[in-house]
Amino acid sequence: MWKVCKYTLIDLARNRFMLVYTLLLLAISWGLFVLEGDAIKGLLALEQVVLALVPLIAVVFTVTYFHNLSDFTELLAVQPLRRRSILLGQLLALGIAMLVALVVGMYLPIAVFAPFDIGGVLMLCAALLTLSFVSIGALIAMKNRDKARAVGFGLAVWAVMVIVYDALLLWAMLAFGDRPIEPFVVPIAALNPIDLARIMVMLKVDLAAMMGYSGAVYKQYLGSVGGIMMATGALMLWVIVPAWWSLRAFDRKDL
Amino acid sequence: MMETIAVHDLAKRYGKLWALQGVNASFHAGETVAVIGPNGSGKSTLIKILLGLVRATRGHIDVLGMRAGGDPASRERIGYMAQVARYPEQLRIGDLLDMMRDVRGLSDDQLDDTLVHELGLDIQLDKRMGALSGGTRQKVSAVLAFRTKPQVLVLDEPTAGLDPASSARLIAEVRSARERGCTVLITSHLMDEVGHIADRVAYLSEGQLRFILPPSEILGATGTDRLSQGIATLLRTPVA
Repeated sequence: MWKVCKYTLIDLARNRFMLVYTLLLLAISWGLFVLEGDAIKGLLALEQVVLALVPLIAVVFTVTYFHNLSDFTELLAVQPLRRRSILLGQLLALGIAMLVALVVGMYLPIAVFAPFDIGGVLMLCAALLTLSFVSIGALIAMKNRDKARAVGFGLAVWAVMVIVYDALLLWAMLAFGDRPIEPFVVPIAALNPIDLARIMVMLKVDLAAMMGYSGAVYKQYLGSVGGIMMATGALMLWVIVPAWWSLRAFDRKDL
Repeated sequence: MMETIAVHDLAKRYGKLWALQGVNASFHAGETVAVIGPNGSGKSTLIKILLGLVRATRGHIDVLGMRAGGDPASRERIGYMAQVARYPEQLRIGDLLDMMRDVRGLSDDQLDDTLVHELGLDIQLDKRMGALSGGTRQKVSAVLAFRTKPQVLVLDEPTAGLDPASSARLIAEVRSARERGCTVLITSHLMDEVGHIADRVAYLSEGQLRFILPPSEILGATGTDRLSQGIATLLRTPVA
């Protein structure tokens, strides 16, 4: 696993797209802090980028990378290696490369401009979102042989989580407003890693008004330290479950 | 001759389509067998099951006494040259050779780098895979297959995309591998090439093994002097 990870990292380190992604994050992060002129405002603007751009890049790049690598992965599967070691090595390398881009492109400006406690939560969310969408991307790549279809599916998953989810939730809350929906709030939040990340940052900044209707309900139940820990745990599950599922799919797949 | 590969009642179904149906065969140390057949005949499926890339629906293949697709150790003595040579674009040839050495846990002195020099790759080790021509990538694939001195070699269309000199060098390497006791399975559409290097020809059609015969026997039985013609004639007549 470590050998596959090492050489995949070498390949990714020379990948031009990774460099462009890092520089883009750096330019956006630095630019937002400078333009807003206020650390909290800069962080909130940056949060929107984190919630939209980071998952999008992570899922599309992962799906594309795995598909481009499929013939080589087949060659690796002919070597005396366990299939799980191959995919785990590649997944680790992708996760590390995306995190390095995040550290240079986003953590650096946050460390320079923003207070550590709020900035730290955004860093944690960005890292967990990156890893969870790398995992989701791997699962999509393992389940779809056709590259165009896999990328399309990745984009659809991203669009549902970023755009459609809140609209559906708002509709559901209005439609079922006369019924006790509180017991379902936390499980519903856990179904969307992007909303989970949004809740974590917003609760830290304490700007309930910016959270929308769904956010206001979450604040009631996830505003405590225990709630934040639960949200972090749920985000970690979004990393672990798709990764485990993709390993299982790869193990059983005819290549 | 020692049996190195034994195919037992092998069948593979993709949905409703049977890619292989009850194939039985055995291959021996020191022989080269050409696996041929039309598109969709089951050649790739047979090879992929042998390499552990595809699971059989029924039956199994034993390679050097180990079940193919089981313990990863069963692939330690197999060399594979894929038809499509695509590699991580940013890795250099040298990185790729190092990677394959490392994942097999071998040291440099356990490797045979003859082909690296003879195919001219030693002066291109710093070139990135993404910058190489199809032919050069094919040379890299050949090197990766032969370099570990395997006991079983699976070559999928090995000379496709290679220049004549490199093709001749590769065929010489196949002969040399056979002489040291390696079992070589080759798929190829070039019947003349097959006729020159194969000890036996295995013909697959619609997932079934129609025959495994030496080229000389095919030519003798059909009274032709070209293997492709001989095979065509043979397919028109029932084989005992």
